[in-house]
Amino acid sequence: MTTAVTEKAGTTKAGRPQPSQRRRRSKLTLRNTLLGWSFILPNFLGFALLTLVPVVTLFYMSLTNWNIFGTANWVGLANFERLLGDNSFRISFVNTIYYAALHIPLTIIASLGLALLLNNKLRGVAFFRTAAFFPYITSIVAIAVVWNLLFSPEYGPINEILRAIGIANPPGWLTSSEWAMPAVVIVSTWRDMGYYMILFLAGLQTVPRELYEAARMDGASAWQRFVNVTLPCLRPTMFFVTVMLTINSFKIFDLILVMTEGGPGQSTLVISQFIYRKGFEENQFGYASAAAVALFFLCIIVTIIQFFWNKRRNA
Amino acid sequence: MKRKFAAAAGMVAIASLSLAACSGGSAPEAEADGPVTLTLSGWSLATTPEFQVLADAFHEQNPDVTVELKEYDAAEYNTLVTADLAAGVGPDIITQKEVKFVTTFQEGGQLMDVSDVELPEGIGGASSYEVDGTAYGVPYRQDKWVLFYNKALFDAAGVAYPDGSWTWADYDEAAEQIAATGTAKGTYQHRWQSTVQGFASAQEDTDILSGDYAYFADYYERVLALQDAKAQVDFNTSTANQLTYQGEFGKQSAAMLPMGTWYTATLVSQQAAGEADDFEWGIAPIPQLDESTTGTDNTPVTFGDPTGFSINANIDGGKTQAAKDFLAFAASLEAAELLAEIGITPAVANDAVTEAYFALEGAPTDDLSKFAWSTGDTHPENPTSNKTASIQNILLDMHSAILSGSTSVDQAITEAEDRVANEVGLD
Amino acid sequence: MTNLLVPAEDRRELRKLAADPTPDAHRPDKKTPLQRVGRVVGYIALIVAAAALLLPFFWMIMSSLKTANEVFSVPIQWVPEVFVWQNYVDIWQESGMLTWIRNTLLLAVVVTFLQVLTGSFAAYGFSRIRFPGRDVLFLTYIGTIAVPWQSYMIPQFILLTNVQVSNTLWAIILIQAFGAFGVFLMKQFYETIPEELSEAARLDGLSEYGIWRRIMLPLSVPALASLTLLTFVSTWNDYLGPLIYLRNPDLWTIQLGLKSFVSNLYDTDYALLFAGLVISVVPIAIIFLLGQKYFVEGIATSGMKG
Repeated sequence: MTTAVTEKAGTTKAGRPQPSQRRRRSKLTLRNTLLGWSFILPNFLGFALLTLVPVVTLFYMSLTNWNIFGTANWVGLANFERLLGDNSFRISFVNTIYYAALHIPLTIIASLGLALLLNNKLRGVAFFRTAAFFPYITSIVAIAVVWNLLFSPEYGPINEILRAIGIANPPGWLTSSEWAMPAVVIVSTWRDMGYYMILFLAGLQTVPRELYEAARMDGASAWQRFVNVTLPCLRPTMFFVTVMLTINSFKIFDLILVMTEGGPGQSTLVISQFIYRKGFEENQFGYASAAAVALFFLCIIVTIIQFFWNKRRNA
Repeated sequence: MKRKFAAAAGMVAIASLSLAACSGGSAPEAEADGPVTLTLSGWSLATTPEFQVLADAFHEQNPDVTVELKEYDAAEYNTLVTADLAAGVGPDIITQKEVKFVTTFQEGGQLMDVSDVELPEGIGGASSYEVDGTAYGVPYRQDKWVLFYNKALFDAAGVAYPDGSWTWADYDEAAEQIAATGTAKGTYQHRWQSTVQGFASAQEDTDILSGDYAYFADYYERVLALQDAKAQVDFNTSTANQLTYQGEFGKQSAAMLPMGTWYTATLVSQQAAGEADDFEWGIAPIPQLDESTTGTDNTPVTFGDPTGFSINANIDGGKTQAAKDFLAFAASLEAAELLAEIGITPAVANDAVTEAYFALEGAPTDDLSKFAWSTGDTHPENPTSNKTASIQNILLDMHSAILSGSTSVDQAITEAEDRVANEVGLD
Repeated sequence: MTNLLVPAEDRRELRKLAADPTPDAHRPDKKTPLQRVGRVVGYIALIVAAAALLLPFFWMIMSSLKTANEVFSVPIQWVPEVFVWQNYVDIWQESGMLTWIRNTLLLAVVVTFLQVLTGSFAAYGFSRIRFPGRDVLFLTYIGTIAVPWQSYMIPQFILLTNVQVSNTLWAIILIQAFGAFGVFLMKQFYETIPEELSEAARLDGLSEYGIWRRIMLPLSVPALASLTLLTFVSTWNDYLGPLIYLRNPDLWTIQLGLKSFVSNLYDTDYALLFAGLVISVVPIAIIFLLGQKYFVEGIATSGMKG
């Protein structure tokens, strides 16, 4: 929905710009470029120096066998070849995708639901919104401990409830290599709901109330109002939440580290932990950088797909 | 797009230049004689007095030299020291907290050759700092793993105390007997991989670099059997409830605890503060594989890694001698006595040192405890090699897979062997 | 004529809805008993959900009142036998809590201010002004979010150490204040503001900067509020960044100072740690509770008609 200032420039009836108009257009382009950059520059300067430069360095390091102290010797694509044959990397890659595939839809539904529910003037809604946000600000250590206890296979309340409703062999959750990842997804969704709820809440404010009124007067049901008024207006927010959620899911690290350390075995090992191990524990920084680059491409490809899908919907 | 590539290339050039520039050392200052200040990296300075004790004692003997402590976070110590060394702002004297990282620093040219520093006879752990015959560090402290036991709980269950002659079979029996009485668990085994793998590697007289891990099988089967007999808390419950070994032994939930000698000082201070119950306890040598090393006439086999000091290879020329003197002092019997007085297990010990250690108020005073603490064939847990860190991570995964019950012992061992061959490669 | 604030394609769908002949919607003036019961059930469900959300925090508070060895046990102890208020006293008196709070507050405020200011400023450039290379540049921004921070943390550390900024509060400010997150969030929100408003302002002679200040900012208050809150919280709770860059104890933030105060090599006094963390959460909860109205302030649509 970004109409450009340039489109006011005239064209001939045939649609092709005359030379004088071409010159005007390129002067306009220059003006826009300068204008655009004047807005971006303050942020971009800091960003370029402090984030972009180290990230580019990282890309360079992935093509070397740097171990932090020595000189970085060029090895070309050797790190990437090694990644392809590395079983642990393959396991971490699959685990990461598995985690993301579960986490993303669950979190979107939960946080959007919460936002819709708490976007009105119920009594005490401020308290409920704060409660939803609390998991995000509670210490990760406390979260890991309490959920470990809740998921405890023998003494934990969750399995007690499952046994009470007739499930004879409830899952081992964090102690079982099959159920550890789903357990982590549950905790992670529980934690992130409040965070994305805030973003959806802000997005919901951009939906003009007149549209709801108009739809209601035409007899639209709540679901119809949601699908035809709320969702379309939420598209920019939805795009933002989806992209951030996707990237954060692929990058997940600290929650899993504190809850399971990648275990039992390697069943919850994700790419970020692989990178950390290789880099900081085994001191193979070139190799770890290659894994980070792989993670980057995973995120960027998915993001580009989402970007173009969103652009097409907007056009 | 072309513009973007050019810009990126430019940035890479700048970045590599800045990196190259700083891998060199700090600018040498003109400080040959006269007062010298050495920086030393330490952790948790408020609760870890050993660094200050050594620094003060050395300064007393060498008034010209001041040792200044730089505090690092205990949990992320290696990451932070690595970052500082990489940026050229590392300490003059690098404390080697874990043997796993010695080769990293050494291969990166960060450690100075200290083969000419004199070490006392019989000092333990010096080999952990040797790479290709050259010494790159000096041990000042070496904890070893022993068996802590609660005399009160043993009495209540009517089981005889460990007497230094135990094998693992005796240990299992005692644990089951105590657990059967219902007052407490027989023993508590902490979740670390060292509680199983350290003993296995030491007592089978091999190390993890061999790539062959069949010898772990017996040790893991034993542990699983103890868990099944409910003689000790199982791994999953310990993980889920985040149990602490200080809490389990200190609050008398378990009658025995295999643990490193550092726990003595902690237990003594916790009993004094009331955070642990008041009960009589002792130290015994860790159970042995077979009778050949049991009894107080023999030397029990156990494991433990040293903590040591190295010198930053980029240190100012004028400070080198002072730094080497400090290393020699830290490893000496004199320093050992000072460390023992605050409850630290030094790398070298004689009778005076042992007396100093057990003079700590609240420490056990029986002969077996003194024997267990001072005598032992202590094998390193982490062999000094650049493959150690990777292998330990693989064995950690194996450890959690076996003890959580997700994988059978044999299958987990086979997987670990395959992974080591595939990911680490052995020469 | 009212300009709709909706993209063209969706206007079509709305018109479709309006065109369909449907019976008059029943305007409920009174609540039926069923609706009232439904309301109560809804409230109960909300309360149960809130309890589930607050459970770990409740455990954290209870554990902060135990002694160190009682925090973790089998079976779990929800309520301590003896309430050890001493933990809170120790934190206030023995530790450098005030210094840590001061540092953390300073960092959080400065970083949030810079992030919101430069982020919304840059977002205007990205969303309203078309210039060559804009989309590629924007993708680069998002691309850097895709790289986990610990991968480039060492090159970044070396860079900042070389310019002598490491071990000062400036290091944290620099690495946090210019992130891509704020730019991305504000850009998405600016896209929901109709172009017609800025057109009208331009015709009135307002410069682009004026449009940003007088039109975009006031209309995006919920987004600004969200960005402020989320940036504040993430800076307040940040651990790894301060760990690497803030080495002097008088520069420590709350998370850093607490961790160091309660642990040594083998041991962490979790009861004390949780006491400190509870204290640390209070300011955030207060800001959130008080700032609620900014999140749900609606977009002013007046000035659109006519």
